[in-house]
Formats: sequence, structure tokens, C-alpha cells
Amino acid sequence: YFGGAINVDEVSKKFHDQLISKNIAPQTSKSIIEKIKLKLQNKSNITMAVYQQTLTDELTKILTPNVSTDLLYDIKKQKTRGTRPYVISVVGVNGVGKSTNLAKLAYWFLQNNLNVLICACDTFRSGAVEQLKVHVNNLQKLNDMSTTTSSKIELFEKGYGAGDHVVQTAKSAIQFATDEKFDIVLIDTAGRTHSNAKLMAPLKKFGDAADPDKIIMVGEALVGTDSVEQAINFNNAFGNKRNLDFFIISKVDTVGDLVGTMINMVMATKVPILFVGTGQTYTDIKRLSVKQVVEMLMK
Amino acid sequence: MVLADLGARLRGALSSVESGSDDEIQQMIKDICGALLESDVNIKLVAKLRDNIRSQIASSNIAQEASPMNKRKKLQKVIYDELCGLVDSHVEPPKPKKINASTKTIKGKKVKLSKESSHVIMFVGLQGAGKTTSCTKLAVYYKKRGFTVGLVCADTFRAGAFDQLKQNAIKANIPYYGSYLEPDPVKIAFEGVSKFKQEKFDIIIVDTSGRHRQEQQLFTEMVQIGDAIQPTQTIMVMDGSIGQAAESQARAFKESSNFGSIILTKMDGHAKGGGAISAVAATKTPIVFIGTGEHIGDLEVFKPTTFISKLLGIGDIQSLIEH
Ligand SMILES: Nc1nc2c(ncn2[C@@H]2O[C@H](COP(=O)(O)OP(=O)(O)OP(=O)(O)O)[C@@H](O)[C@H]2O)c(=O)[nH]1
Ligand SMILES: Nc1nc2c(ncn2[C@@H]2O[C@H](COP(=O)(O)OP(=O)(O)OP(=O)(O)O)[C@@H](O)[C@H]2O)c(=O)[nH]1
Ligand SMILES: [Mg+2]
Ligand SMILES: [Mg+2]
Repeated sequence: YFGGAINVDEVSKKFHDQLISKNIAPQTSKSIIEKIKLKLQNKSNITMAVYQQTLTDELTKILTPNVSTDLLYDIKKQKTRGTRPYVISVVGVNGVGKSTNLAKLAYWFLQNNLNVLICACDTFRSGAVEQLKVHVNNLQKLNDMSTTTSSKIELFEKGYGAGDHVVQTAKSAIQFATDEKFDIVLIDTAGRTHSNAKLMAPLKKFGDAADPDKIIMVGEALVGTDSVEQAINFNNAFGNKRNLDFFIISKVDTVGDLVGTMINMVMATKVPILFVGTGQTYTDIKRLSVKQVVEMLMK
Repeated sequence: MVLADLGARLRGALSSVESGSDDEIQQMIKDICGALLESDVNIKLVAKLRDNIRSQIASSNIAQEASPMNKRKKLQKVIYDELCGLVDSHVEPPKPKKINASTKTIKGKKVKLSKESSHVIMFVGLQGAGKTTSCTKLAVYYKKRGFTVGLVCADTFRAGAFDQLKQNAIKANIPYYGSYLEPDPVKIAFEGVSKFKQEKFDIIIVDTSGRHRQEQQLFTEMVQIGDAIQPTQTIMVMDGSIGQAAESQARAFKESSNFGSIILTKMDGHAKGGGAISAVAATKTPIVFIGTGEHIGDLEVFKPTTFISKLLGIGDIQSLIEH
């Protein structure tokens, strides 16, 4: 069977459906499959193995970042320059895991001997500030127990509030971090509906004021077709001179091999995936294994 | 709002039928299935629906209708019935009752006389779905209708969970119960429910941590909480933007918690809720409310048949049924 020639249209239809069943949006799946067909159009006697390899290569290409994802290197470079701390902000829709994955990032930085200031710029959702307080307390304890690191972590918060409270908090935090020699400021932001212009507009103001070195969107692996629009709208939220730098795809542990959201978001924006979130503890943050994800999609 | 897109496509598919030829009807079916797939309805479910529509159309003699208008009406009825079949589980979730409030003074203490028991609602769902937010929304909904409602925070896992529920409850002026120190959610749930039961609250709403089927331990904890508080009703909270994972997660929650209704959240965005439709179909459990924002008033009652008639642009369902 694998050796014989196949009917490309029939097989394409089968894979189109398979990609959808893996949580790739129908439109996204369609454009991938059309590309495969185009690639194969002048070849004769196409076997199943050739088709599968072509699709595997295409999916691999989509997920492989074409910029450096070595964040630590970047941060250390800035540290030697000693101008201002490295500012990273997380953004995304409601409940996707921004605050939790921010805490996971903080843990990773602490283990790499970097001093972290967490800034509470979700000044809207009930309990958002207290949530970060708990994380910072936990991380302080973990860090004190560690014999291999001498880094520190603190929380910067100015409570809840609307209007320009967010921008003011972010600015003061960066100033404070500069004075107190923190290497990194991690800014948490409120979750927001990507299609609500009233909620998205303040992101531009925030981006201009805090001028983060990296803006990371947390996207959730559970989300279906809406993930395409979520990625596009957040990527466009910071004006035409600024894009998202990375994605963190969270809750990958909850979807089995239905990992299509990654393809949806990356294809829509060309923004690379920095990490995937694989659970609710501080160590549940992993480098993306493109090979593994593609295998899951092809299975 | 949300459903406008899907609705427009479904109506477009229907109205593109002119002569009622086989080609046109096949194209219509294809369009409808495409629209459902783009709304995250499970792909296997869509395939089944397609077969059902085909066989219904074959058996209802649509080709024999003289006017295109009548053909379209008959088609619309077939589609309406099939879509309703997807979201309408024909199950009525239990309704809370007000506990008789009369009191008697025994040994200088006011004691409520009623033997009736409080209506206990337990919330379950995946991480970040909107449980805690929806708990308060539902409490506010019932409070407005004259019920006494208490909130219990049995989430001891998520950082800041109790503060979140507490701040929401204070904002909405709803009594609440929780603890910063007790790590056992089963214990807190039991104590909170007992306390509000003793005080004869009509409704007690219990918030729990987010969990997922891949982690058995978390499901075991959910079962233990359920055993301890014996809920009258269990509600699964589901994010409206969930994709193809909806079905397997919902099935697993159904098996372990036997939830009896669904609240679909974050429907104020562009999410089309198809994942939840798959969950309804897989678990035969109705969606009863939808969440339409982050504020405590952003909760709407959900009626499946009204939802489908809106999708298909049918103003007056009665005329369709009489037809
Ligand atoms: N299973 C799993 N759960 C996760 C992961 N990341 C976050 N969560 C859980 O998702 C829930 C929501 O996480 P938060 O970090 O509060 O999400 P958020 O985006 O900050 O939410 P808002 O600020 O309310 O918009 C919590 O229960 C987290 O424990 C992950 O990778 N896997
Ligand atoms: N736009 C919108 N946001 C909502 C809605 N319901 C909840 N949210 C937001 O979604 C996020 C997560 O809500 P929570 O209530 O914390 O979710 P949860 O299920 O309790 O989360 P865990 O306890 O971590 O599992 C918060 O930012 C809420 O404000 C809704 O209907 N619309
Ligand atoms: Mg948050
Ligand atoms: Mg909660």
C-alpha cells in the first residue's frame, strides 16, 4: 500500500479532515493541504510515503522559528550593557494562563541567577494581585532553599484601578527595578477579549509606555478556530511598528495529541513559539519539540 | 453578536437553494457542514449530521414540492430539527426552591422551622474556563430573584483563588465561606455547605479548582468533594472558544461528576461555541446559561431552540412547526 501510487485528491481530503480533527482550523488546514497539492502537482506516481513526508516537512517548516529563541542570551547581553532591566510582558485573552506562565518564567530566570521583579499590571480582575503575591512568596521560598543561586524576586504592585493606572504602575516598576538593580521586569496584564476594541486599545498605550523588550502572547492549546483571530488581533494590537515576539502555548497537557492550535497561531502571524506550558507547577514549562508536535499531528 | 457569522452562513446556504435540484441541495449541505466545522463542532459529529440531513431530505419528498418557496421551507425544517437535535438534550435541570422562612424561638434562639434542604450547586470544569467568575454571576442571578445564596470557595490549589471569590462576593454583597489555611478542599467544601445549610440558605454554590481528564488525581478529588457535599446540581463551566478537545474532556467530566448542566462562558467575543455544542451532544446535557463578559451581571439564560431559530433566521418558530 505504501509503495503504490495514490489518488492525491482522495488522500488530501483524508489529511484535511485529520488536521481538522487535531484542532487545526478548517481554513488553515485547507491552505496547508493546497500547498502540498501544489508541491506534488508535477510529480507522477506519488506514494503515500511521499505524501506524508511532504506534509511532515511542511508542518515542520511552519513551526520552526526563523529567529533566535535564546532569551537568556539576549538578557545577559543587555545586563552587561547595564542601561535598564530587560522588560518582558505577557498578554492574551482571559484565563489562558498568563499569570501562571509568568510565574514559571520567573522560576526559570531565578534558576539562571537573574533577579526578577514581577509587576502586577492586571489591575482589573478580582484576586489578580493576590495571585501574584502567592506566586512570589512561593518562589522566594524555593529560591531561598536553593544552594546554587543567589538571585532575588519581588513583587511590585499598586493595587487595583482603571484608567492610566496600568501605565503608571508599569513605569514605576521599571524605574524601581532600574534603581534596585533587577535584571528583569516581568509584567502581568489583564486578560481581554481580542475582538473588543475598547479592551484592546489600551494595549497600544501600554506597549508604548513600558516599551517591553519582549511581548509574549500566551495562547491556550484548548482553543479552537478562534485561536487564529486571537493571534492576529493581539499581533496587531501594538501599532504597525511593533509585533508580538513570542507565543507561549499553555495547557498542552490537557489536549492529548490535538495540538493544532500551535499551527493556527503560528501560521496566522509568523510569530514563533518560545515555550509550551505542560502543567500547573513552576517546572511545567518546556521548549517546543517541533518533531514531537508534528508526529502528533501526523498520527 | 457571537452567532451572527454562523447564522449568516447557514441562512446563506439555505437561501441559495432556488430550484431545489439535487446539485443545489448537496451544495447547501456542504456549506452548512463547512460553517459548523469552522465553529469548532466536532468533525465526527458534523459527518453524522450530514448523513442525517441527507436521509431526512430523501424521506421528506422535497423534490416533489412545486414552489421553490415550499422546498426551502421544508429544507429549513429539516435543518432546524437536525441542529436542534445537536443542542437540545430535552433534559430540564433541577430548579432551586425557596426554603420556607418561618422561624420559632427556642431557648432564646431563633430557629428556622423548615425541614427542606438547601439547593447545593457544585461547579466543575477545566482550568481557566470561568468557574469562579460564573459562581458569583449565578449567585447574583438568583439573589435578584429573591433567593438567599451563599458562596463556598473549595479551590485551595489556584494561587489567589479565595481572594478572587471573596472580592467578587463582597462586590455583589453575597455571603461567602473559605479559608487561607486549610489545604483540603473536601473539608472546606463540607464545612461551608454545612454552615450555609444550617442557616437555611436557599442556594449554596461551591467553586472548585480547575482540572483536566489527563490527571486522574484531580478527578478523584472532584469525586471526593461531590461525595462530601452531595450536590443537588453539578454544573460544568466551559469556555466558548474551546475546540476539538471539548468532547473528550466533557465526556470524562460527565463520567466522574455526572454534571447536569453547562454554562458556556466568554461568548462576548467571536467564539462560536461549536466545541460546547459537541459537548452537549456527547453528554446529552443542556447549556443553561451563557457568560457574556467579565462583570457580575454578564450572564444570560440559554434556550437551545431559540438559539437555533435565531441562527436560521426564523422569527416565528410556531409557523414552522405547524407547517
Ligand atoms: N493544565 C494546565 N493548566 C494551566 C497551565 N497554565 C495555566 N494553567 C491553569 O489555568 C488557570 C488560569 O491560569 P491563569 O494564569 O490565572 O490565567 P490568566 O491568563 O492569567 O487569567 P486572567 O488573568 O484571568 O485572564 C489556572 O488554574 C492555572 O493553574 C498549563 O500549562 N497546564
Ligand atoms: N470576556 C469574558 N471573560 C470571562 C467570562 N467569564 C469569565 N471570564 C474571565 O475568564 C478568566 C478566568 O475566569 P475564572 O473565573 O478565574 O476561571 P476559573 O475556571 O475559575 O479558573 P481556575 O479556577 O483557575 O480553573 C477571568 O479573567 C474572567 O474574568 C465571560 O463570560 N466573558
Ligand atoms: Mg492573570
Ligand atoms: Mg477559579
